[in-house]
Amino acid sequence: MKQPPLASLRGFVTLHVTGPQVEKFINAVTEADIVIWDVRPAGNGASLNLLLDDFFALRPLLKKTGCRTRVTARNGLPFNAAKLWKRKFFAAGLLLFGIGLVLLSSMIWTVKIEGNNRIASEDILQAARHEGVYPFQWIWRMDDPDKLSKKLTSTLPGVSWIGVHRTGTSVKIQIVESDQPENKPLLSQRHLISRTDAVVTEIYAEQGRPVVSRNTRVKKGQILISGAIGDEENMEYVVAKGEVKGLVWHEYNIEVPLNRTRSSYTGERKDRTYLVLGKWAVQLWGYGKSDFAESRTLTEHDPLTWRSFQLPVGLLTEKEMEVLETAETLSPEAAREEGVMRAKNDILARYGTDSAIKSQKILHEKKENGKVYMKVLFEVEERITQELPIVNN
Amino acid sequence: MTRIGRRLRGWTNGVLDLPQDVLQELPRITLIGNKELYIENHRGVLHFSSEQLRLALVNGSLEISGEGLVIRNILGQELAVEGIIGEIRYKGSEENS
Repeated sequence: MKQPPLASLRGFVTLHVTGPQVEKFINAVTEADIVIWDVRPAGNGASLNLLLDDFFALRPLLKKTGCRTRVTARNGLPFNAAKLWKRKFFAAGLLLFGIGLVLLSSMIWTVKIEGNNRIASEDILQAARHEGVYPFQWIWRMDDPDKLSKKLTSTLPGVSWIGVHRTGTSVKIQIVESDQPENKPLLSQRHLISRTDAVVTEIYAEQGRPVVSRNTRVKKGQILISGAIGDEENMEYVVAKGEVKGLVWHEYNIEVPLNRTRSSYTGERKDRTYLVLGKWAVQLWGYGKSDFAESRTLTEHDPLTWRSFQLPVGLLTEKEMEVLETAETLSPEAAREEGVMRAKNDILARYGTDSAIKSQKILHEKKENGKVYMKVLFEVEERITQELPIVNN
Repeated sequence: MTRIGRRLRGWTNGVLDLPQDVLQELPRITLIGNKELYIENHRGVLHFSSEQLRLALVNGSLEISGEGLVIRNILGQELAVEGIIGEIRYKGSEENS
């Protein structure tokens, strides 16, 4: 045993004892059942360690043996406490810092939500807040994560699983949304009528009663599939659904110019780079004029950005690209073909891509002022249905 | 200690085979290498310096000489010495047994 138990807690002093009979003093101390340790000769006496409690019992012994003591070091908690007491505010600051660290680290700072597509994060946060999970909440006031996830799962609709994980001061809520049946649009009762004059080629009623049959000639607005089923006594209205195709005639007036110019890039290019400072631009590279006969210039401004702020400093690049213009003349046949093609594309775009062009006939064609004028009749098989809501009043 | 008492003790020692220090207040000295020395049953310090340490015993004295001697602790009749121990000399003032 080097020193008595908890010596540093009880406090001990290092004494320097001088006198004619240091040995006698040591013996006297031992007899008085005072524990001393680390006795080492020093100077013309000895230095020794002794507990603070025993220090005040030394007095009579010193008197008896005629020794003198000098305290050379004070160690242990009582002395440190006294030292600290002299710097109360420093100590208080130290303590406050510690307390603050503990308090701040036992607080939830962020709540993150992962895996939600349909449910709004705000709703989940609201539900979590209701269960006591929100920023600046004490961690010790929070429920167990498994209980929280159970509660959240029962409160939030449309969720099949919720996981709550806490790592440090952040809480992560993981969500697995349950699959929901597809929402079908609500339809009102209706008839299907013809959009235009046509000859029906195909009719298929998914719901409702077909009124016309194949090869019937229908007028615009005529009912094709009726939404009214049953006889006059027991009438019921449904949503008519189905597909009706018919032959429709479209007349197109087409004009195609025979001469036209076309411009294309040759690939030759000249770049200029500018440094933009506020309103000024200083050219950096690409001095000199280009020797292009005709050119087009693309300008790209690329300001320095930090997050969403645009700084007034940036780069400006100008690309001057050479353009070659070529003139070409179409033959009347090519012009006709192109005009018809354009008209066909227009039909497909207007009446659906499943329209089929059954036949085409050029009714009239003339060449005038460098243009070809044509009148073309197309026979097209296309969908001809239109919805007509049934109004009961 | 009376003569009879002493003889009785000597006899019990012989019969029971007890260690001497238990019965006769003889010092027990433990030396670990030349670094540490433990002395039990001493009767006080007579002289103490870093070269020499003299202890009083029940009969006689013990002289320890070495370098850098330090009394690590004193607890009642136990004493631990640290340092480089060179010599231990037992000076008995033999009492008649």
